[in-house]
Amino acid sequence: MESVPSNTHGGLDEQISQLMQCKPLSEQEVRVLCDKAKEILMEESNVQPVKSPVTICGDIHGQFHDLAELFRIGGKCPDTNYLFMGDYVDRGYYSVETVTLLVALKVRYSQRITILRGNHESRQITQVYGFYDECLRKYGNANVWKIFTDLFDYFPLTALVESEIFCLHGGLSPSIETLDNIRNFDRVQEVPHEGPMCDLLWSDPDDRCGWGISPRGAGYTFGQDISEQFNHTNNLKLIARAHQLVMEGYNWGHEQKVVTIFSAPNYCYRCGNMASILEVDDCKAHTFIQFEPAPRRGEPDVTRRTPDYFL
Amino acid sequence: MSMVEEPLYPIAVLIDELKNDDIQLRLNSIRRLSTIARALGEERTRKELIPFLSENNDDDDEVLLAMAEELGVFIPYVGGVEHAHVLLPPLETLCTVEETCVREKAVESLCRIGSQMRETDLVDWFIPLVKRLAAGEWFTARVSACGLFHIASPSAPEMLKTELRSIYSQLCQDDMPMVRRSAATNLGKFSATVESAHLKTDIMSMFEDLTQDDQDSVRLLAVEGCATLGKLLEPQDCVAHILPVIINFSQDKSWRVRYMVANQLYELCEAVGPEPTRTDLVPAYVRLLRDNEAEVRIAAAGKVTKFCRILNPELSIQHILPCVKELSSDSSQHVRSALASVIMGMAPVLGKDATIEQLLPIFLSLLKDEFPDVRLNIISKLDQVNQVIGIDLLSQSLLPAIVELAEDRHWRVRLAIIEYIPLLASQLGVGFFDDKLGALCMQWLQDKVYSIRDAATNNLKRLAEEFGPEWAMQHIVPQVLDMITNPHYLYRMTILRAISLLAPVMGSEITISKLLPVVINVSKDRVPNIKFNVAKVLQSLIPIVDHSVVEKTIRPCLVELCEDPDVDVRFFANQALQSVDHVIMSS
Repeated sequence: MESVPSNTHGGLDEQISQLMQCKPLSEQEVRVLCDKAKEILMEESNVQPVKSPVTICGDIHGQFHDLAELFRIGGKCPDTNYLFMGDYVDRGYYSVETVTLLVALKVRYSQRITILRGNHESRQITQVYGFYDECLRKYGNANVWKIFTDLFDYFPLTALVESEIFCLHGGLSPSIETLDNIRNFDRVQEVPHEGPMCDLLWSDPDDRCGWGISPRGAGYTFGQDISEQFNHTNNLKLIARAHQLVMEGYNWGHEQKVVTIFSAPNYCYRCGNMASILEVDDCKAHTFIQFEPAPRRGEPDVTRRTPDYFL
Repeated sequence: MSMVEEPLYPIAVLIDELKNDDIQLRLNSIRRLSTIARALGEERTRKELIPFLSENNDDDDEVLLAMAEELGVFIPYVGGVEHAHVLLPPLETLCTVEETCVREKAVESLCRIGSQMRETDLVDWFIPLVKRLAAGEWFTARVSACGLFHIASPSAPEMLKTELRSIYSQLCQDDMPMVRRSAATNLGKFSATVESAHLKTDIMSMFEDLTQDDQDSVRLLAVEGCATLGKLLEPQDCVAHILPVIINFSQDKSWRVRYMVANQLYELCEAVGPEPTRTDLVPAYVRLLRDNEAEVRIAAAGKVTKFCRILNPELSIQHILPCVKELSSDSSQHVRSALASVIMGMAPVLGKDATIEQLLPIFLSLLKDEFPDVRLNIISKLDQVNQVIGIDLLSQSLLPAIVELAEDRHWRVRLAIIEYIPLLASQLGVGFFDDKLGALCMQWLQDKVYSIRDAATNNLKRLAEEFGPEWAMQHIVPQVLDMITNPHYLYRMTILRAISLLAPVMGSEITISKLLPVVINVSKDRVPNIKFNVAKVLQSLIPIVDHSVVEKTIRPCLVELCEDPDVDVRFFANQALQSVDHVIMSS
């Protein structure tokens, strides 16, 4: 007798449970969802303030089953607060389901989850690395790709946890000294090929001091001196970023001024790396939790499958 | 035929779109072929639509695939079974295309249609089609033909039957391996329609050709035929004809063939019967268990329980068990994992003594395997061993290993242990449980991994159910409530979850006096996530406590949470309040 006419937020709760089973939404549902997401995201800052406790996560890259594993490890949203640092799409087989789920969670629980932009949340990159093709395959046309890539322009670029942990996808930029520099530019655009906005999504920390040319062809490499100076100027304790595969799932750099977090285990289904997430609890204590790929249903444990020749 | 629901205009569009340049439009149209047919009526479908489709087979594979599928269910639209034969020509063409999945779908549809056709029509239309395909110049037609004989053969007159068998025999010796593979795949189905007199002669000679094929991809399909044919033959013929083939296959030079044998051997045992199994197949199986190729050992190891079930215990102990012992320390983790996934099932087969003497040491070594899947496979089937050796012995010998695994590095191993705990508890009894396992159950509540904490709360509930509220009040509740002060919000949330699960078991009185005050207290927590979980827990407590408590304690707390600055806290508090109102109204 305890059935209460529940407010399901216009079917959003049902959509979330559908997505949790790795079943994509219809094009029309995606369109409505992204319209709502846009309204929420456009209110967020380029340096979005986030309160602790929060669990910080790195690249997912369409590995939906490993995202589900991440929730089994870290807890479900909204019970656990999450901050994702970009690269939801490309490379994995389930970019559509992955990014739709995260956006749906953002719309339903905007205070419980923060989703930043990664260098793969871009029109250009997704046309090369899989998201575009996946949309075409799953929807028969590019409309859903268009809807999502238009939404990506609104994703915040960075977040600031309790004024002390600076979170972003890539790294620092020679054109940015203070957080206010970031707060001031207009982020609603395709990721440019150069300049501060590009650097935030593309740069990597490096063992060498100062600024260096990035082998990626976009962004820079930055040394420990740069990180120390930036943290000092902005009163930060730590820069948390993603963007690079690290075998243990997380990797300290620059004498614990920078940490890389990567949340796609066995990246591209073959790198053999661990994934990790960083729990910042309500006393601001840090705990890394590592995890392995989720067991794939129906894939037996064989070293070598019987090849079907001539197929 | 019922009235057409769709208006005529879209029909014209659909027909138009069958010829459109855009593949997507053609595909849509093909998928609605039945709608078009209904609009045209049976006669025009036969005279216009089907011929049109027969001519338009130069399309994209995706369109052809859809067409092949649609035509399979088209009999009602051409006027019933007496007109079914008009569907054969377009499908015949589809049987010859390059793309495998189109051909397979066309064969499937032809079988579906053929099995409904009248006998005379089969002779007049279907069998000639099979013969044309079998004589096709391009191999694709001949590949498709192989899948149609079992439909064609039963209704054929004697002469024609003989001819069909001879054609099939030619297909088994075709120049193209693809055709021979298809012949091997379909031989079982075809044989089932052949009279037993011809089985031993014609069919067996075709089978022997296939088993000696120089392509291993053909031979391994013939392995599957062994079991099917074996079941059709008399036991003595099976021993005479099939058994030697199996023995040969088990020593085939291609590991893929041996792998197939390893996978299917227990089925073949059923076909040849117990005596030949003992004398001939056991040695063959032992060879496979010791094969050089890990892949073959994996397949063989995975069948060890099924195989032992066919043998008697003495033979299993004498011949199979030594191999099992070797496999438990195999160099390949996948072999050990395959063994671990089935070995527990051997306990009931071997009986108590052999299990204790021989299997237990193997279980223990696998429980300590360095590869987590091996450990996991053993733990998840522990209950099968309980039944054989009894819980006392199990607890003495395996419990130390289990306790060790309770802190395993891999969370799925820990999870498997937790899920085993309620069973263990019920069989070991309170005393034993308190000593060894109580502390672990509390420790899991503070595991780093959410799923373990969640399973731990469920475990507590099941323990409280097993040992009763009084025991729980002494051994669980105080310890659990103490943890509500944990500095980490996710661990406090686990305690809230435990409270909501324990409350129904503990009953109204303890819930009101012990549990509810703790929940109310946490409603002032600094973290919003805790507060909205307080609202959810309070909602779950409403049916357990008296109305007066709901009004005096729960409602005021929820009302306050409804004023919280956090939107999610307000949402869940509101939901809970609606529950309160609902209960009050319905009482």
